[in-house]
Amino acid sequence: MAGTTGNWADAYRSKWTWDKVTWGSHSVDCYPGGCPWRVFSKDGKIVREEQAGTFAPVEPGIPDMNPMGCQKGACWSHCHYSQDRVTQPLKRTGERGEGRFEPISWEQAFSEIADGMLDAIQDQGAASIINLFTPEPGAAPARVFSDVLGLPTTDGNAEFQDFSPGWHITWGLYNPTASMDDWFLADLTLIWHANPVYTNIHWYHYVAESRYNGGEVVTIAPDYSPSAIHADYHQPIRIGTDAALALAMCQVIIDAGLYQKQFVQEQTDLPLLVRCDNGRFLRGTDIMEADRDDQFFWWDASKDVLTAAPRHTLALGGVDPALEGRYEVTLKDLSSVEVEPVFSVLKRHLEAYSPEEAGRICEIHPDNIRKLARKVATRKTKIFIGWNSGKYYHGDLMERAMALLLGLTGNWGKKGTGTRSWAISGMDGEIFLGGKEAPGQEAAQKLIAGMIAMRRLIAADDPTLTAEMINNRMMKLAADADGAAGFPMPPAFLWYYQYGYKERWNDRENHDPSMKRSFDEYVEEAIEKGWWDPRYSKVYQDVEPRVLFESGGNVLRRQRGGQKLLLEHLWPKLQTIVSVDYRITTTGLHSDYILPAAQHYEKLGHSMPSVHHLNYVLCDRAQEPQGEALPDVEIGFRLLEAIEERAAARGMSEFIDATGKARSLQNLTDALTHQGALRDEEKRIDEAIRDSGVYGVLPKGSSLATLREKGHVRWENWGMILHGVPQASTLKPDEVHNPLRWHTEDKIPYDTLVRRAQYYIDHEWFLEAGEQLPTHKEPPNAGGGRRRFQMTSGHNRWSIHSMNMTNNILLNTHRGEPFVFINDTDAADLSVENGAKVKLVSDMGEVLVAAKVTPSCRPGQVILYNGFEPYMHENWYGQADLEPGHVKHLGFAAGYGHLDWRILSWQPIPADRAVRVDVETLG
Amino acid sequence: MGTITTSKRQLAWVFDLNKCIGCQTCSVACKVLWPGEDEGTEAMWWMTVNTQPGRGTPRGWEEMGGGYQEGKLQLGKIPSDEETGGGWDFNYDDVLRGGGGRGTHLRKISGSKTWGMNWDEDEGGGTFPNAYYFYLPRLCNHCTEPACLEACPNDAIFKREEDGLVLRDEDACQGAQQCRRACPYKKIYFNRARNVSQHCIGCFPRVEQGVAPACVRQCPGRAAFIGFDDDPGGVVDKLVHKWKVALPLHPERGTGPNVYYVPPLAPAPLGEDGGFKEDGDRIPPAYLESLFGSEVHGALDVLRTELEKKRRGQESELMDTLILYRWKDALGPLSRDPADIRWD
Repeated sequence: MAGTTGNWADAYRSKWTWDKVTWGSHSVDCYPGGCPWRVFSKDGKIVREEQAGTFAPVEPGIPDMNPMGCQKGACWSHCHYSQDRVTQPLKRTGERGEGRFEPISWEQAFSEIADGMLDAIQDQGAASIINLFTPEPGAAPARVFSDVLGLPTTDGNAEFQDFSPGWHITWGLYNPTASMDDWFLADLTLIWHANPVYTNIHWYHYVAESRYNGGEVVTIAPDYSPSAIHADYHQPIRIGTDAALALAMCQVIIDAGLYQKQFVQEQTDLPLLVRCDNGRFLRGTDIMEADRDDQFFWWDASKDVLTAAPRHTLALGGVDPALEGRYEVTLKDLSSVEVEPVFSVLKRHLEAYSPEEAGRICEIHPDNIRKLARKVATRKTKIFIGWNSGKYYHGDLMERAMALLLGLTGNWGKKGTGTRSWAISGMDGEIFLGGKEAPGQEAAQKLIAGMIAMRRLIAADDPTLTAEMINNRMMKLAADADGAAGFPMPPAFLWYYQYGYKERWNDRENHDPSMKRSFDEYVEEAIEKGWWDPRYSKVYQDVEPRVLFESGGNVLRRQRGGQKLLLEHLWPKLQTIVSVDYRITTTGLHSDYILPAAQHYEKLGHSMPSVHHLNYVLCDRAQEPQGEALPDVEIGFRLLEAIEERAAARGMSEFIDATGKARSLQNLTDALTHQGALRDEEKRIDEAIRDSGVYGVLPKGSSLATLREKGHVRWENWGMILHGVPQASTLKPDEVHNPLRWHTEDKIPYDTLVRRAQYYIDHEWFLEAGEQLPTHKEPPNAGGGRRRFQMTSGHNRWSIHSMNMTNNILLNTHRGEPFVFINDTDAADLSVENGAKVKLVSDMGEVLVAAKVTPSCRPGQVILYNGFEPYMHENWYGQADLEPGHVKHLGFAAGYGHLDWRILSWQPIPADRAVRVDVETLG
Repeated sequence: MGTITTSKRQLAWVFDLNKCIGCQTCSVACKVLWPGEDEGTEAMWWMTVNTQPGRGTPRGWEEMGGGYQEGKLQLGKIPSDEETGGGWDFNYDDVLRGGGGRGTHLRKISGSKTWGMNWDEDEGGGTFPNAYYFYLPRLCNHCTEPACLEACPNDAIFKREEDGLVLRDEDACQGAQQCRRACPYKKIYFNRARNVSQHCIGCFPRVEQGVAPACVRQCPGRAAFIGFDDDPGGVVDKLVHKWKVALPLHPERGTGPNVYYVPPLAPAPLGEDGGFKEDGDRIPPAYLESLFGSEVHGALDVLRTELEKKRRGQESELMDTLILYRWKDALGPLSRDPADIRWD
């Protein structure tokens, strides 16, 4: 009898052998990433990778995180050797976009790019060098020139729009989110504005497992989404009406007295008093000249007296703040005014959202609303949200309404509750590397001591400031400082004046009908009132961009409003366009230079730090970069050196930066590399890991060597930077993480204007727009009001944005071409066959794409997932070319407590959902 | 024709369709490791996941015959290349280096024009809002009575004694493709470049080292389990024999498959007025019965009962098994970390 002894069997055995194993991960903005992989090499080539499956269990009784990974990761090695890989510096020889390039030396590339940058500085000034922020930790170091020279960097959360505006408005926090294992503990998970079956492949299992653990899962989406199939209920909803559904649930809960009174009194602004005459909060300055403008008030029901709501604590301190009733208050001029708690105003506001009325708006049976509301009110509930809601024009209102639902039911700040967002940033050791005085951990100690002293200094004026508030103020100071690293800026003003959006945003027909004035008026008022720093709000009225630098991103795919706009308005102004990437993108094809970056298994790094997994995950170098490719950090350093050389040759020793300060063009890499001591890739990352140990994020004694042994290590603490403190919970070694526990358990105030979760926004523009409370507004008729379909989108299953989309293994796992989902009855009505090429048309443009016909798509909806590389479409126009790229005017509102710009936070963000399109058949 | 012998032990796979999210990590893991993209293997995906209902891969495989009827071997249809689908390469050079700009876009330059291994992804059945679908991962069933084995005129297919894997001696295979006719699951591919048929090898080189097959070990949905059928208290024993919630696909084809599925629950459907119909079936029970046999109804009842227990705060061994608190428990005796292996 045959057996596994023959040559054929040995051939298979031989396929599964290797001579080297390294730890690997993907240092990209996959979210939340952090999957530890083993990378197997043989004969100098990477042959495959496999999930490590090495996470230790964290909390008893909760499933472990293994084996984190996905299909993109499982064939990442393939992209190292694929045909779209670029391994030599390329210079354009034909027209931009034509795709004609010649290989050149690195020296030539750096020298010419450096000259382009110096030309730009001389011609238009430093602000004319535009450095696009993309969040890939693996690609960011190529842009190090921007940090060193203080050149502008566009804020990422406007570039790629993964901001949750409604969360910010409510909590004033940068993205509080639970660790992924906390999802197991939910009794009820509402998958709402998310499609984790596509986008959270590596941890969706916690949702399925929470269901097996006795929880229920409800998916709320217009379509029968892939994430509906494992739910207990799928509630279809008319596109863009989610705020109405959430508000109706709130109405049911209040009406039935099911709200958590103490939580509402303590954690939210609902008991704060609002003046009945002008709709503004009753403020300290209303009562007494010398009082604070940010002192707010309760009516103590037990003593029937006006009481200042404490600013230093959420604890009620024996007060029973009234939630209802009208009270008369004497003002400082001895006149009197009626006031009432926000809760009362809310209750009246919600009368418009009875289940019957909301049911009509949302096309939902009112009994379903009642049923869902009662479930939320009686269970530990989580809202599994992605970054879909924020991409709706009125996504802020949807999120504020959802936050209200969670607040009324006490559903945050305890395990198994809450919601999520994009809680990432960097590692302290890496971010502060150039800020230390010298190499070594003693210098790190000193730096941290300095930062702690600075915190004390900031707090000195106001002892009520919380750690979050101090952190946020430090962030703002850092961003506003002269020559801040990378000079981060909200790009809306650049877009407005230089990208061609001015005309689009002022087009009333396509824009929000509830805007009372022209878009121009709002922008001008925001600038005049000084809400935005003139360095970025005014400078692009005059300065034309000359250099565009894209590293690890693909702006011609990504930019809402489409490539046509950019190619018509921005591209002609640019004299040097650089794409740093390991593959040739559509942006690369329209660039002047393509610089070949090392792939992720060819350089040292780490995956994106994320609160979802709370681990430092090493990406080791399995093989040397192919061809002439270089690690991004090396590209960054060499470009700086070329700038130095060219500046010297041109007799430029300094330049005037965008803040008006003179900056040297000499010794540019010195501070970053500590005079060359940390130039080497291994030394650099080892130092960053060791420092992160000093800063308390990683266990003390962590080093590159310990990481090479274990591959990953769980954080011990948050550190000083962006994602940590806003979690507002103490990280524990043997517990899942749930944010906001400092607020719910320790009664520490929130960093909002009113220091409580804030549902009522009395900013003048919000009052004018009728958005002082969460409300429902229809999405504007972006794309053309008469058009039959509404286009929705979202991250696809097969690629992280577009970066894996051209991998032919993955292309073979779907249609292998861009496609759009359309409902089967709609398709029949239009005589569209499954697989037929159709044209999607909006007022902005046309896209050719294959139809995919399904009853899962809602009638009147088309779903075009994002990430298809534009050059996969005939004519290269993709989804973004159908979108107007609007921003909501309220994004320009500022000067109001937490409604003020901070990095990756409050600012105008573009909308791209619910665009109106027609579907046309061809020939 | 080959003679079926009984193996001493049998490895069995269980896929929990309530956890499978159709991500194709299993498919990709297998593709990269085994068939790859060598000449002749371009269109081969020994592991695939399809949206059900759907035509799957090869297109319409359920209507292609094969298996046994009343103990008699049935030779069905050999799937055509077009029905197998895929095998696509693309015109990268033209687009990226051809200089034609927008006149050229990335498109297929080889393989099937009308089908792919996951062509009807997320289409499914029903009528909005009561559409329905689920994901079905499929590989060789390593059948207890493999029709392919009996059909092979060259005695190339055998059932390995120690683990019951159904393997093909590729040195003996003459490319007759009778196995492709006989397999009722149509999970056997043909390599034209080498003139041999090929199918899932059960990752036997990994199994020999105590490492689980890639499709199981790499499943991020934690939907895949493997173990010996006769391991008392093992996961297969619990799910297949004790709780009887894991069922073979198309048992009526008579080959005794050793891949089992926990059948899919689905959200409550909506009534005509849009209200939730708590007791209604979104997925037609008859459809599930057509896939998993009449035992599917009992299996679903058990799942619902045990879910309800957990919701009442009671214990459930079944739910705890499916939760899979410790991932390695899914791998049974094959839980060795491959990175620990040193090849000399």
